[in-house]
Amino acid sequence: MTSFISQSSRTTSTVWGLPQWFASKPAWLLSLILIAGVWAAATMGAVPVTWQDWLAVLKNSDEPLSGGAYVLWHLRLPRILFAVLIGAALALSGALAQGLFRNPLADPGLLGVTSGAACAAALTIVLLASSGIEVPAALRYWLLPATAFCGAVTVCFILDSVARWLTADSIAGLLLTGIALNALAAAVIGLCTYLATDEQLRTLSFWTLGSLAGANWALAGVLLITLVLALWALRQLTHAMNALALGEAAAAHVGVNVRALRMRVIMLVAVLCGFAVAWCGMIGFIGLVAPHIVRLLVGPDQRRLAPLAMLVGAILLLLADTAARTVAIPAEIPVGIFTALLGAPFFLVLLARMRKGV
Amino acid sequence: MTALHATSGLLALDHVTVMLGKRQFGPFTLSIRPGEQVAILGPSGAGKSTLLKLLARELNPATGQAHFDQRLLTDWSLAELSRRRAILPQSHEVAFGLPVDLVIGLGRVARAHDPYLNSIVQQAAAHACAAHLLERRFDTLSGGEKARVQMARVFAQLWDVEQGLLLVDEPLAALDPGLQFELMDAICSFASKRGHSILAILHDINQALQGFERLILIKHGTLVGDYQTSHVTLPLLEALYEVRLASAMTEEGEMIVAPSLKQQMLSNSCLDY
Amino acid sequence: MSHVFNNPKEGMPHARRIFLSQLGAAVAAVCLPQLALGNEAGKKTARRIVSVGGGLTEIIYALGAEKELVGVDTTSLYPEAATKLPSVGYARALSSEGILALSPTLVLATEDAGPPAVLRQVGTAGVPVSILSANDKFEGVIERIQHVGSLIERAAQASQLESQLRQDWQRARAPILARKTSAPRVLFILSHSPAQIMVGGRKTSADAMIAYAGARNAVDGFDGFKPLTPEAVIAAQPDIVLFTEQGMGVVGGVDGALKLPGLAQTPAGQKRRIVALEAMFMLGFGPRLPQALSALDQLLTKAMQG
Repeated sequence: MTSFISQSSRTTSTVWGLPQWFASKPAWLLSLILIAGVWAAATMGAVPVTWQDWLAVLKNSDEPLSGGAYVLWHLRLPRILFAVLIGAALALSGALAQGLFRNPLADPGLLGVTSGAACAAALTIVLLASSGIEVPAALRYWLLPATAFCGAVTVCFILDSVARWLTADSIAGLLLTGIALNALAAAVIGLCTYLATDEQLRTLSFWTLGSLAGANWALAGVLLITLVLALWALRQLTHAMNALALGEAAAAHVGVNVRALRMRVIMLVAVLCGFAVAWCGMIGFIGLVAPHIVRLLVGPDQRRLAPLAMLVGAILLLLADTAARTVAIPAEIPVGIFTALLGAPFFLVLLARMRKGV
Repeated sequence: MTALHATSGLLALDHVTVMLGKRQFGPFTLSIRPGEQVAILGPSGAGKSTLLKLLARELNPATGQAHFDQRLLTDWSLAELSRRRAILPQSHEVAFGLPVDLVIGLGRVARAHDPYLNSIVQQAAAHACAAHLLERRFDTLSGGEKARVQMARVFAQLWDVEQGLLLVDEPLAALDPGLQFELMDAICSFASKRGHSILAILHDINQALQGFERLILIKHGTLVGDYQTSHVTLPLLEALYEVRLASAMTEEGEMIVAPSLKQQMLSNSCLDY
Repeated sequence: MSHVFNNPKEGMPHARRIFLSQLGAAVAAVCLPQLALGNEAGKKTARRIVSVGGGLTEIIYALGAEKELVGVDTTSLYPEAATKLPSVGYARALSSEGILALSPTLVLATEDAGPPAVLRQVGTAGVPVSILSANDKFEGVIERIQHVGSLIERAAQASQLESQLRQDWQRARAPILARKTSAPRVLFILSHSPAQIMVGGRKTSADAMIAYAGARNAVDGFDGFKPLTPEAVIAAQPDIVLFTEQGMGVVGGVDGALKLPGLAQTPAGQKRRIVALEAMFMLGFGPRLPQALSALDQLLTKAMQG
């Protein structure tokens, strides 16, 4: 069988094989930037933190932390980790959606996943209040994130089944379904806003502003596990995602089970996006911009794109959130403003460079 | 035709019909032997592409049975199938501007362990006259270059396989004659070296007559003829295309066919209106 | 309490306040002693209060506790001195670290404050957080004064302020209760931007003030603030249209207000009976409530006579 291969040219594969993205130059650079960013973010904030505070945090003694050490350990560090993880999750969901739809402008917002999550949250806020059901305090903390997550997953399932039923295995059908679902979700959110009392609007506004203020270690841990699992699932998908660029029919011809692949990618997007929206509200731009930046840096190969996009997303959201925390000390500015401020110009510069063919 | 005969050969269709919306295609009964080079001819809309999609397993039979290498086509997994048959598509577009070497390598995406990938990509590219394009991005290529890269991808897919099947869907229609000849030659030599069968939809009657040993004629969604090329006569082709043809012999004894300038015999063409 | 600031945009700190707050933080960072978190520190060192809510800030000033105030939110615009304090930002987008950086020993907030996670974090860090009920009643103001008084150990001043307020309230309400003329129909309009014009229905702070002033809310078909529709405005037939001063500025004064769809077809529009009061003064439901009521009453009375 191998008689058609010239044996001499057997080399260690740089095209295939395990993803060697971490050995590449952009990966190193981005990792360094991220580490520097984390360090900078940890030193910046409303409360001054001294090196004694760092020692106190690192010492791990039984004494309860106080002062700067308390702020560092209980507020700042979990929030930094949270920003990194949410940024990575948003960027990865964006990269996956763009690969799935073979469209660099596709992102979970376009799919209706984000608005589906927000829609479920809005419905819960308004319906629960008018039904008069008392939710136990312990549950209340998890209720909205849980419903937002369910909303994202539901949208993905509707998306998949409707699109398949309308136009089997066609990406265009899926996209159109996403647009319709988006409009539907927007209408429901609009209706909720109209029906909501002032008190409910308050909760709704948190959802639309987006904030990382709710960070804590437990949440960050859950998110970290989710991301690791997502990366593990991704490892097997990136090969096939590349083939999807050939078109669905050609992808099937080279042996990719397009239907199963689509299902898995959609579920991944739903999980990542649902988590992000559930805990942080709607934070725009990361899912769109991070994969773009990476594509311009290292090209569209999904095996490098997905992990590097996570790094870029983490850096972007960390920068944005650090700015949100520190620009107006002791007040805080909604992080969505900074994701747009950081993301949009960067994106434009890179677009201009791409036009010049650099 | 007995059932035994229908399942023999590399690819065998036994009274297969396929539904496309409300329109029924078939029944098709045919068998392709290993290494055979077959052209599919027929007017536009006759069902050539539908037949190819059926063979590519993009469409499933409504009735009848399709066998590939003695096994029901539907029993093959997509990954298994991809290691035995490749399809050269009509359109060449690839999203995102992937690098050419990656596109060619994608032909082997279904192989979990592929130690020779790099050298196969190089050789497949060279065989498709695309070696000089390996460093380029796919979206910067011209139409002819894209066709070569897609062909290299198909070569890579079946590079280290024998007795596979190559399905070709008019990939060269838009290219200039010199390139068409060169690429068709590359396909045929690639296939004959490995004993692959070729099943190609063609628009160019002469290409079919010169390069292929067997012609399958499709019209009105069904099989109307299945001939050794040497047995194909001018009236058969005239009936197929409903056009008057003229023929000439080359010095080497090859028949060249072209539409005749005298078309008055046509009874049911649009010229009658 | 203040339903005026439901819109997120309204609460966004503008450049000057950001600058002020940064200055404040810089000063705080330099001058502050070692961060004192936790209850045990509260007894010895001076009380340090962060107030989230304009009405609460006014109460603290009225109780003479302004020296203990170390931070306020963006709705704390009165008295003027309050705007010089470090700002913890928009009441619904608070920052836990920002609040903790001010080393407070007490955080006072209304139900408007959030996000809930931030208030939880501040509480977990050992700083008592008191959430005061927000309602649009005179008795609610008294309750809040008593509550704040007990929290900051100024019960005596609180009682004194309470009796003073009750007297003022009587004085402000007396002429209104005595009046025999029929109640004018008042339409309250809230506008954060020219594209976002809302009218106040039932169960709003504006509705409460209109009722206290002996007038009738021209809109009684719905609760809360809803977008203005020209036909509904005409159907409401208001005798007077009431704006906040900020909102009046947004629509472009009386002339601009008259150009709002439908308004010209109402008695109020035809007779140019369009009035405005400062938002926090009129709708803050703080210690200035009696004065606000008198001011509103005078405005309405004058408009009806003029």
